[in-house]
Amino acid sequence: MKRRIWNVVRMEWAGIAATPSSLLFLVVIPLVLVGQALLLSWIVPRFVNPAILGPSATDANALRLLILRQFPFFVLLIPAMVANVFATLGIVEEKVSRTLEPLLATPVRTWELLAGKILSGALPGLLVAWASAALFVGVGYALGWGSLLRSVLTATFFLDVLLLMPAVSLLSFILGVIGSSRARDAKEAQNLAVLVVFPIFALIAIQVTGLVEFTPVRTLLLALAFFAVDAILLRGAVRLFARESIVTRWS
Amino acid sequence: MGKTMMGHAVISTEGLSKRFGNRVAVDSLTVAVGAGEIVGLLGPNGAGKTTTLRMLAGIIAPSAGHAVVDGRDPASEPENVHESVGFLTESPGFYERLSAERNLAYFAAFYEGIDAKAAAARELARLGLADRARDKVGTFSKGMKQRLALARVLLHEPRILFLDEPTAGLDPEAARNLRELIVSLKKDGCTILLSTHNLSEAEELSDRIAVFRTRLVAIDTPRALRESQFERRLRVRLDGGTETCLAALRGEPYVRDAHEEEDGVLTMLLSDPDRDRPRLVARIVQAGGQVLEVREDERPLEDVYLSLVREEEA
Repeated sequence: MKRRIWNVVRMEWAGIAATPSSLLFLVVIPLVLVGQALLLSWIVPRFVNPAILGPSATDANALRLLILRQFPFFVLLIPAMVANVFATLGIVEEKVSRTLEPLLATPVRTWELLAGKILSGALPGLLVAWASAALFVGVGYALGWGSLLRSVLTATFFLDVLLLMPAVSLLSFILGVIGSSRARDAKEAQNLAVLVVFPIFALIAIQVTGLVEFTPVRTLLLALAFFAVDAILLRGAVRLFARESIVTRWS
Repeated sequence: MGKTMMGHAVISTEGLSKRFGNRVAVDSLTVAVGAGEIVGLLGPNGAGKTTTLRMLAGIIAPSAGHAVVDGRDPASEPENVHESVGFLTESPGFYERLSAERNLAYFAAFYEGIDAKAAAARELARLGLADRARDKVGTFSKGMKQRLALARVLLHEPRILFLDEPTAGLDPEAARNLRELIVSLKKDGCTILLSTHNLSEAEELSDRIAVFRTRLVAIDTPRALRESQFERRLRVRLDGGTETCLAALRGEPYVRDAHEEEDGVLTMLLSDPDRDRPRLVARIVQAGGQVLEVREDERPLEDVYLSLVREEEA
């Protein structure tokens, strides 16, 4: 069982490795997003009057702190996008190359195949997101924002990284599977699955506007809500991944 | 399990049916295939051949009826059936950016107790692709991909093979090589279900032929199918004296019909061609005819197939 799942994972990664453009994507997206967050944190306080935050905010660092605090949600875009690319590439390729029927003629169980696909897509997304978070924190400290970062690295931040990120990574992958099962090619699948970024943008907007304060409890509830959505969507994805659908609709 | 012309059935179905919505793809198929037998599946497009193979391979579930393959029900334990069955799908389907050996090793690793790399190397060598093992499948010709697909099917050395259009789109040489391989697999004891549109291939390879048109129209040996549709006729080529011979033969009780089809060639319908042939020749010689050639006027399988299908339509 485990051997078959890892066989799928290794094959997925071999396929991704054989496509240099997707590897580039894996590196470029996190770097752009982390770079953007750092650049904004550095540049905005230099040019924007902190008084826009209110009459009591006179320090540029108040503005910088506000931007740094967006990072935990901002970084959610990384697993969302990376897992999505892996899912669509992994499944649409099966569809286009018509490898699913020969695969289903082997003793691999459908759930093993899907588990392998999930791991192969969600794991790199998650690892890259964690690496990005570490990079963000490391560069922030190197830029001398240690005192500010200490008020960012709260329980909420760690709940975000350890729970919300995996939940989002999984959600993105599942939407990738659903999108891929309906799409004719990778581009169409990604267009469908990119919907996953909208709830993340909504979270960022809520955070920025201060409509809801993301306390540890609220972040935990949010992560649980994401996992619940994952579970519901996963059932749909498994149904779409049913053998009969695959061979009669996908081939 | 029932008995077949080749002994105990390793594949059997009873009332096996499949519907897709309102459309009936396979209608109440009951058949038994013996160990070491090759059964050719013939039928027009959409006749249900591929659907039948998919049900037997445990890839899709039947709507009604059941099947037993190698002692197991493919609908309830597909993974176990896959351990003993090799299914060559209609489309080869490979990861084209990866090498042939990587592709095969991937598929091999799903089977229990086999060394995936060694199995991949063995089958690449058997199918004559060892020198292209490290090349990307995307660079392969259609014939090479089809051979590679057959290599994939053989990775776990199955005793039962389902081959869906194995020579479709291949050049004559590649098709011949593949047919030779199928014959050698049969000699090794494999039981094979072969779906094809190539009638001469079906006749050359199959012990029995099953004609499909959603339901099973007929299943028998090529010769028996031929005899079920057309009477056996003898063609006798003579060196002159045809009219005298014809007159003499028309008086024989075992000659049901005799006429000169073309100059010097008589076509005859006998009561029992095997029994009556020697006395027919003797009678011609007695009537002063010189026999140059006697052969059975065998109708092509295509005529037999079309006759069966049209009969079913009617």
